[in-house]
Amino acid sequence: MGETLLRLRGVQKRYGGVRALRGVDFDVLAGEVHALVGENGAGKSTLIKIVSGAEVADEGTVEIDGAPITGGSTQAAMEAGIATVYQEPHLFGELTVAENVFLGRELRTNGRVDWAAQRTRVGELLAQIGLDPAIGDVRVADLPVAEQQLVSIAKAFAHSAKVLILDEPSAILTDREIEVLFGVVRNLRAAGVGIIYISHRLDELSQISDRVTVMRDGEVVATKPTSELTVRQVAELMVGHALGSATADRPAPTGDPVLAVSGLGRSGAFTGLDLTVRPAEVVALYGLIGSGTDAIARALYGVAPADAGTVRVDGRQVRLHSPQDAAAAGIAMLPGNRKQQGVFANKSIAFNISSAHLRHLAKLGFWFDRRKERSIAEDFLRRIAIKAPDVGTAVGALSGGNQQKVVLARQLVRAPRVLVLEEPTQGVDVGAKEEIHRLVLELADGGSAVLVISTDLPEVLQLADRVLVVRKGAVVREFERGASQADVLAAAAGDEGETAA
Amino acid sequence: MTEIETVPAAERARGEGIAARVLRIALTERVVLLAVLLVVVVVWFRVLGAGGYLVAPYDVRYLGNALESMVPFALLAVAELFVIVSGRGGIDLSVGAIVSLAGMAFGFMVGVWEWPLLPSIVGCIVVGALLGAVNGALVAYVRFPALIATLATYYAYSSLALISNGNAPISTPPVVALHSLTRNVNFPEPLPPVPLHVFTILLPCALLAWVVVSRSTYGRSLYAVGTNDVAAAYATQSVARTRFTAFVMSGLLSGVVAVVTVGQFASARPDAGIVGNGMALPAITVAVLGGVAIQGGIGRVGGVLVAALLVTWLNAGMLLAFPEGAEGSRYQLLALGLVLVLSALLNTVALRRYGRLS
Amino acid sequence: MTSTATTAAAAPTRRRPRVRAIEGQEIALIGVVGLLWVVLSLVTDTFLTTGNLQNILFTVAPIALIGIGMTAVIVTAGIDVSVGSQAAVVMVIVALLVRDSGLPFLPAVAVAVVVGLVLGAVNGLLVAYGGIHPIIVTFGTLNIYRFVSLQIFGTEQVAGVPPTLAPIGGGAEGKLLGVPTAWWLTLVLAAGMWCYMRFWATGRHLYAVGGDAFAARLAGVRVRRRQISAYVLTGACVGLAACILIGSGGLVQQNVGTGLELRVIAAVVIGGTSIIGGRGTVLGTVLGALLVGTVSSAVTLLSWPSELAQLFIGLFILVAVGVDLLRERRRSAR
Repeated sequence: MGETLLRLRGVQKRYGGVRALRGVDFDVLAGEVHALVGENGAGKSTLIKIVSGAEVADEGTVEIDGAPITGGSTQAAMEAGIATVYQEPHLFGELTVAENVFLGRELRTNGRVDWAAQRTRVGELLAQIGLDPAIGDVRVADLPVAEQQLVSIAKAFAHSAKVLILDEPSAILTDREIEVLFGVVRNLRAAGVGIIYISHRLDELSQISDRVTVMRDGEVVATKPTSELTVRQVAELMVGHALGSATADRPAPTGDPVLAVSGLGRSGAFTGLDLTVRPAEVVALYGLIGSGTDAIARALYGVAPADAGTVRVDGRQVRLHSPQDAAAAGIAMLPGNRKQQGVFANKSIAFNISSAHLRHLAKLGFWFDRRKERSIAEDFLRRIAIKAPDVGTAVGALSGGNQQKVVLARQLVRAPRVLVLEEPTQGVDVGAKEEIHRLVLELADGGSAVLVISTDLPEVLQLADRVLVVRKGAVVREFERGASQADVLAAAAGDEGETAA
Repeated sequence: MTEIETVPAAERARGEGIAARVLRIALTERVVLLAVLLVVVVVWFRVLGAGGYLVAPYDVRYLGNALESMVPFALLAVAELFVIVSGRGGIDLSVGAIVSLAGMAFGFMVGVWEWPLLPSIVGCIVVGALLGAVNGALVAYVRFPALIATLATYYAYSSLALISNGNAPISTPPVVALHSLTRNVNFPEPLPPVPLHVFTILLPCALLAWVVVSRSTYGRSLYAVGTNDVAAAYATQSVARTRFTAFVMSGLLSGVVAVVTVGQFASARPDAGIVGNGMALPAITVAVLGGVAIQGGIGRVGGVLVAALLVTWLNAGMLLAFPEGAEGSRYQLLALGLVLVLSALLNTVALRRYGRLS
Repeated sequence: MTSTATTAAAAPTRRRPRVRAIEGQEIALIGVVGLLWVVLSLVTDTFLTTGNLQNILFTVAPIALIGIGMTAVIVTAGIDVSVGSQAAVVMVIVALLVRDSGLPFLPAVAVAVVVGLVLGAVNGLLVAYGGIHPIIVTFGTLNIYRFVSLQIFGTEQVAGVPPTLAPIGGGAEGKLLGVPTAWWLTLVLAAGMWCYMRFWATGRHLYAVGGDAFAARLAGVRVRRRQISAYVLTGACVGLAACILIGSGGLVQQNVGTGLELRVIAAVVIGGTSIIGGRGTVLGTVLGALLVGTVSSAVTLLSWPSELAQLFIGLFILVAVGVDLLRERRRSAR
């Protein structure tokens, strides 16, 4: 390990009322892999945005090689030697691998693109990554997704970076590809590059990282050599010792299951899912990104139908090939990506709430009952404290939390028998979060079955009567209410009892 | 992940002054802006007329007469509204070709096979709807880009229309008699005579379209699908069927226009909807002017109708302002083009500023 | 790690679709055009005559020429429906200058290209900076340019245009080695554009802009500049095409160029360029134009109703894009 390449001191950042970073110190040395871990919302993303120039720190300094950078320009950060690989590859299908790698910064001689030089360089990069060097001339659209991901890694390496940020690169890779990735990372480390490695899969850390920095609530809680930590210890540091405020005593669920899933599977996503949810019960599926929980939610709602197994609602077997099927079976779903799957941004609150109940709100089969729509929306506005002047307000003008409440309200109009919630409180402020939890529990108390799919561990433990941990598309463990965060996290992260060192 | 929470626009809007409010309403309530423009246009030409700059009086009688040319474009603009609002690059280039082909079918029914009038009208509209259904199937189910699908069917339909009667119009006596469909109806003074089909066709169709778009469950589904089709699917809407129906509606309205044009020309002309720049371009222009946003999910029947009226009376005025016949229609082109680009710029500004159009 | 590198090298190399000089759709098009030519030569005795072939190539040239620019525009996820009106503006200006001021050949062509550039630049600027959808912008300028052309026409058409532009016209003067010079011009420009879009960095950036403009900007591509350049190029192509259309002179009517945009777009789309942007080649466009021209000629030679040609064009569009959709679907299903 060498000198310090990247040095952050006292970095602070606030978004509105939220303090995302509260004075963070962070160093990356030349030739080290520095893992950065923390729960969602711990401040990792904000930190990375500041380092990569996408955001400006409110206070504190960022230095690269001893030279301070002001931030706010990704271009400047790139020129200073910082490269970032994001989770989703930003590639152009019609361009070749080589062209993608050099897009916008082509290698030129006398103003013209030096194709030969690019080809040679790409060949080297691909060989390093373990891809066939000859695919430099292949169109990216013709490659499998996993190889595309590797290409986007090659892209980050193309321009000799001093500091490389890998933002959860392993989340959508297979084990073999992860091995390849690690190979490249080790090569780069040997070449003196400083690497920030962000991952939720704590079991990886021992294989790849030299040091680990754990963040919690916008602060660094520990920076230690990886060899001194176990997976269990890292998990404990991440969640702290604060007990998740358990939900008020809820009666033990009784009665025949409302939702009974057996042997459900979808090839390439998840297999053999068995699951029952009884009336008034809240069950959570917890898994890291890429574990397959999102696919389970989509299968239960008929968006991406399962290809094996059965689903029963109130004892009756149901066919789930479309959201319409799911709705007819009494299943409602709060989708995980509010902006893309949830809201109609330039439409009113009333429009958004009623949009899943058009037939229900019809008179004579086609006439839309606007008065009823309005009264339903106004009812919700009062019940759940959506901060808006009236139900005609465009949803896009509301804050994230209020938008989420509107989308949730849509699911509650006709109390569904089964409510599937995907990341119900992502990007939502604390007040809205409590409100959303209250609404969900209210629905459950009425005898509905609730299935929460979330990567937010405290939320899962707080809401759920039972937690099923999903890893690589299968349920690996089940916890009853009162399980510790560290246990659940360790199970999801792949701890099989061994130490990290 | 932390999300950046911006100051909600709803809260910003509260502290605005009167001037800002007027601006916001003018920018977001397209009908208001168009109504103001309409008044301006009418008053201006009245003033010009009073000053002796017009070759004929721009009076109530003239305006009433001018409505004749409004009917086809207003209806086709409403047809485009359905398709454009349905989103994903929705557009229908084939409306003019449908007018031609359905019009020829109408000509055959009335003039050659000598069907009674009512079944022929229904038949013509059904033909239009079927041709629209072909577009709809291609776009909604096979997932062709709308521009491509309707470009192809534009060619195919106009070719069939031209071939159907060997590139000759059908003007047999029963067809000529159809002209009575579009005769003027006289009202007691001071009301002007107004073309009959404004009442028998335009107003009922407009009302029906308004009911479907603004008051029916289908209309809700249409806006939902056009605004965000993924969210619409999660909200249990059948996205493909909604889009398909939008194209059927477009074809159906084109079929209605076919009846009108055959009546107006007293002849089923194979090139009725495709001569020159065709009918699709002006229809799309009027729709966009009426506040239909090309990205889908936004647009109202009322706005489109007022826009059609504005364009009609503006055109009518220019025909009087420029005595050379060709010069008047020439300036109509300029006005149409400028108005289209400027109204699109307005849409952009309004969306950027208020994040919402009604 | 060296170990990983060696394992990868040892791994069996799969057969992969490589970027070829000619794409599948282009080969198919060549096949279809070739087949049509063979069949037509056998069925009619008029098809395979120098005069007819020259005629096909000459009528195809303006479509293919404008198609070169249109390909770039559509690859950037844009569209230009104003080319017909642009052509009208250029034609009336050039025709008047040639007739009334006796402008010689080269200056006339230069004027045509410059006027085209300006008209294209207006479109490009509105698209890049106005935040308006290209189809709306160009629908607007379609009307405005038509107005401009009619304004210049005045009350009558331009008659008695001298044959100044005959060297690229359809007459005997406009032939080189028996092939219309207009076609040579088209081929040279198409070849140049093909190279540009394949080998030049900025040419490749056109595809990135059409694929995902936002991501392209993040990568450092000058998105607006590329958009403007595509529309400007289209304008220049329209300028040249207008010279070909004036050709040997004679009469320039007021309705010149109406419907031209749809024919050009049809050629581009049949040639395999994706209307949603990010994909397409100039070679495909030239072949698409050739197919359209061949079909039109065939319909005439077979003494079918000439309107039937449009039906075939419509069907070709559906087949070409439909095949492409199927291929895409199979690719994403894999």
